Amino acid sequence: MTTKAEPQTAPAPSLATLAKTTAIVLAAAGLILMTIILPAEYGIDPLGAGERLGLTAIANPPVTIIEMPKSEGAPLAPTANGPIGEYPHEFKLDTFEVALGPYDYLEYKYSMEKGATMVYSWTASAGVHHDMHGEHPAVGGGEPEAESFDKKDRQEAAGSYTAPFTGIHGWFWENPGGDTIKIRLTTAGFYSGAIEIRSDRTRHPHTLHAPNVVRTGTVSAP
Amino acid sequence: MKVTIIAALSAIIMASVVGLSAHDEYRIIGTVTKISAATLTVKQSKDGKVFTMKTDANTIVTRDKKKVARTEMKTGAYVVVDALGDSLEDLVVLEVRIVPAPTAK
Repeated sequence: MTTKAEPQTAPAPSLATLAKTTAIVLAAAGLILMTIILPAEYGIDPLGAGERLGLTAIANPPVTIIEMPKSEGAPLAPTANGPIGEYPHEFKLDTFEVALGPYDYLEYKYSMEKGATMVYSWTASAGVHHDMHGEHPAVGGGEPEAESFDKKDRQEAAGSYTAPFTGIHGWFWENPGGDTIKIRLTTAGFYSGAIEIRSDRTRHPHTLHAPNVVRTGTVSAP
Repeated sequence: MKVTIIAALSAIIMASVVGLSAHDEYRIIGTVTKISAATLTVKQSKDGKVFTMKTDANTIVTRDKKKVARTEMKTGAYVVVDALGDSLEDLVVLEVRIVPAPTAK
């Protein structure tokens, strides 16, 4: 025959002991909060202990800037960084307005490196013959080789464009009728120059603008 | 010797082709002021300049996108001329399009 032993229980602490223990724990927690957590997490250091322990540096880590290989003269070719294309300097903005006379045509193109991108939109006051194309640089005094990417009659278009090769890239617009047509083009992109080529083969370079320059647009007639 | 001659001829042909293809295409829009057997003179409407261009057997004349006889091209006609050359002073006409004169504004 066996007898079950009754479990021994510690005597409950007195209320005074409980209050004293709680106060000690709260004081310790407060001390840790003031000397370690606030300086390290939020940079708040009311007792100066965080700075002495080097904890405030954790809350305010120094910023290490990754230097881009910036150079104004460098070609605006992108360097792939995952989905990001990084460029050696900022993009440009351009607005071009033209009154295209009866039956006349005009080309407007940007100098772009292979892989460089731009966004664009243009509208015309009436339908025009249109050809968005790129031109390879002329080799050995020959004619530059052109590639058409969108050759349709249009009155407007908007999109993005990534240059498939280094060269000049842009639009040919032809007025098919006897009334003057107004065309307005707006672009932003990584191009280094803009040129207007008229039907008399004269070439007119255009000034490009940095993104922080606001202007009201220009009008030029062929 | 044979190889040298072939190479020299090829170089000459290539140079000629490059030379020809280096010409630019110009557009003159305006009114025909004079026609001769081998030339066409047009007064450009945008600035009043007068250009005399050569015509040859390859020059075509069209109206409404259809080829028409060269005799259709008359003094006073409003035309769009596409011509090939090194400059505006030295052009050979590729195509003459007879079009309606622009609406007066």
